[in-house]
Amino acid sequence: MNKSVKSRLLAVSAVASLLALSACGQDAGAADANANTETITVEHAQGSTEVPVNPETVYSFDLGALDSLDALGVEVDGAPTAQYPESLAKYGEDAVTKIGSMKEPDFEAISEGAPDLIIISGRTAGAYEELSKIAPTIDVSVDAATPVESFKEVSTTLGEIFGKEAEVEKQLAAIDTKIEETKAAAADAGTGLVVMTSGGELTAYGAGSRFGIVHDVLGVETAADVKSEGSHGEAISFEYIAEKNPAHLFVIDRDAAIGEAAGKAAAAVLDNELVAGTDAAKNDNITYLDSASWYLVGYGLNNVDSMVGAVQAALVK
Amino acid sequence: MTRSTPAVSGRVALARPRGSGGQLAVAGAAVIALAIASMFVGVSDVSLPALLAGDRTAWDIFWISRVPRTISVILAGMAMSVAGLIMQLMARNKFVEPSTVGTVESASLGILVVTVAVPGASLLAKMSTATVFAAAGTALFLLVLRRIPLRNTLLVPLVGIMLGGVIAAITTFFAYRYDLLQTLNSWMIGDFSGVLRGRYELLWIVAVLTLVGYLCADRFTMAGMGQEFSTNLGLNYNRVMTLGLIIVSLISAVVVVNIGSIPFLGLIVPNLVSIIFGDNVRRAVPWVAVFGAGFVLVCDIIGRTIRFPYEIPVGVIVSAIGSAMFLYLLLRKRERRG
Repeated sequence: MNKSVKSRLLAVSAVASLLALSACGQDAGAADANANTETITVEHAQGSTEVPVNPETVYSFDLGALDSLDALGVEVDGAPTAQYPESLAKYGEDAVTKIGSMKEPDFEAISEGAPDLIIISGRTAGAYEELSKIAPTIDVSVDAATPVESFKEVSTTLGEIFGKEAEVEKQLAAIDTKIEETKAAAADAGTGLVVMTSGGELTAYGAGSRFGIVHDVLGVETAADVKSEGSHGEAISFEYIAEKNPAHLFVIDRDAAIGEAAGKAAAAVLDNELVAGTDAAKNDNITYLDSASWYLVGYGLNNVDSMVGAVQAALVK
Repeated sequence: MTRSTPAVSGRVALARPRGSGGQLAVAGAAVIALAIASMFVGVSDVSLPALLAGDRTAWDIFWISRVPRTISVILAGMAMSVAGLIMQLMARNKFVEPSTVGTVESASLGILVVTVAVPGASLLAKMSTATVFAAAGTALFLLVLRRIPLRNTLLVPLVGIMLGGVIAAITTFFAYRYDLLQTLNSWMIGDFSGVLRGRYELLWIVAVLTLVGYLCADRFTMAGMGQEFSTNLGLNYNRVMTLGLIIVSLISAVVVVNIGSIPFLGLIVPNLVSIIFGDNVRRAVPWVAVFGAGFVLVCDIIGRTIRFPYEIPVGVIVSAIGSAMFLYLLLRKRERRG
């Protein structure tokens, strides 16, 4: 018995050293391939990190950054398993390395892929230390208090890392224009309320929340002073909507993930006498926002453009 | 241990019920008072003066939202409590109820399966699937129970909770795979905030089931005494057990699909009633129904008022109060036996 334990230990250590060797080899190879060893220091939500310029292999847990890099034509080699919206559907395919779920990194897959840069955000922020041991990791979480400024900073940083500063600037300027236009439209569009439906129930989101961009940035007047702590809003009844009587109702359909067309499940939930009595319903101002875009992707160059666009379209209808 | 052996209740149940109509009427009046209070709690301004003045909006809200909500609270509270009582008779144990033996978990697995397989399925289709799953889960529990030689009072709910845990784990796994975890969460936590006119009417099914449960209470008591004993009494054991299974599963499935899970309710209400009024099952059923309705009414009113104008799901309130009471009941029995 003692002997077998010993031999097992030997076998384990042999495998371990082999692994270590092969890992070293890979590291050396990667370093060679990257003739460009230039690095820049990136300030991010969890400190500062030395990041290689134009990193070869990029893994991103943040779908916003993924969207931005997609917009900039930068290739991302690893992405989490998720229900990707159509615009990012290619990242759900097998050609892209799967690096875990939206919340939990698959450390083995990541180590094996030996990325040169890992991008994380809120849902995976806790794994920063662990991931930093594998490769330079940056946390691009957007600050909900100042979402647009924060998003611009992150975008600029990405531009610097990938040498696309001019392109980023151009796209941000376009977004700014769109925001200004939307603000102007919002000025006399009346009040708005953002709600999410999930399993037939409702939660409301106010200014400063994860969907606060509608009020804080785009200037839609709040129909109700919803103080939501945490990221899942406040549970409300249909009476609440009837009582606050918003001129515009923005709906995020959490159940769309089931595979129904966005808004279909939510429309069934909201199709009732109380909601029908609101100004929003009477004037056909209930807007079903794309849940993948709002709930999942968030702040990316293409996506912010389409988020702002969706609100603008609702207001100037 | 005597209290938890249905043999006692069986004998008493066969005797003529003692009259307690007066007390029951008082309790019923209290529930009606709570129901009236419940109709005047909400975000919109619905007050008695407004209603008397013939305010159109107030009356609309009253009929569209308040009355349906109050009725569904009463129906769900009654039915889940009576389902718990029937479950306890069938399992011959006071510590079981649909949410501790896997019935509710199985029902939610059923909803998940139908949601993933047929996303646009109607409420009726969801309910039917949930019922089939709930019945299968409950039958599994009763089968497992029959194989356990030593029927320790605490072992039975333990087996049920473990079984429920396994089913819940399977449900969670598939919900995770299909990105439905949060949706599953909002299904599972009982919540009356979505109840409106035109959305709760299927709940009336449970009223009928509760009545059937009441009419058959004596038979469940006899069946609970075991197959041989009840056959000697001239009872078709298998038929009665099947009937009980169907009632409990249907009630659980209808309530889970329409409202969500209200944990512990079927456990604490029948136990409280038996502590106060003894073990006469036939007499206990109306009390269980009244207590169940009253308890859920109180919890729903609390859920609507403590974070006004936002809501705290009734399932959260009931389980907070219910788990404390469950613990109390467990420890209380322990002391007695020791």
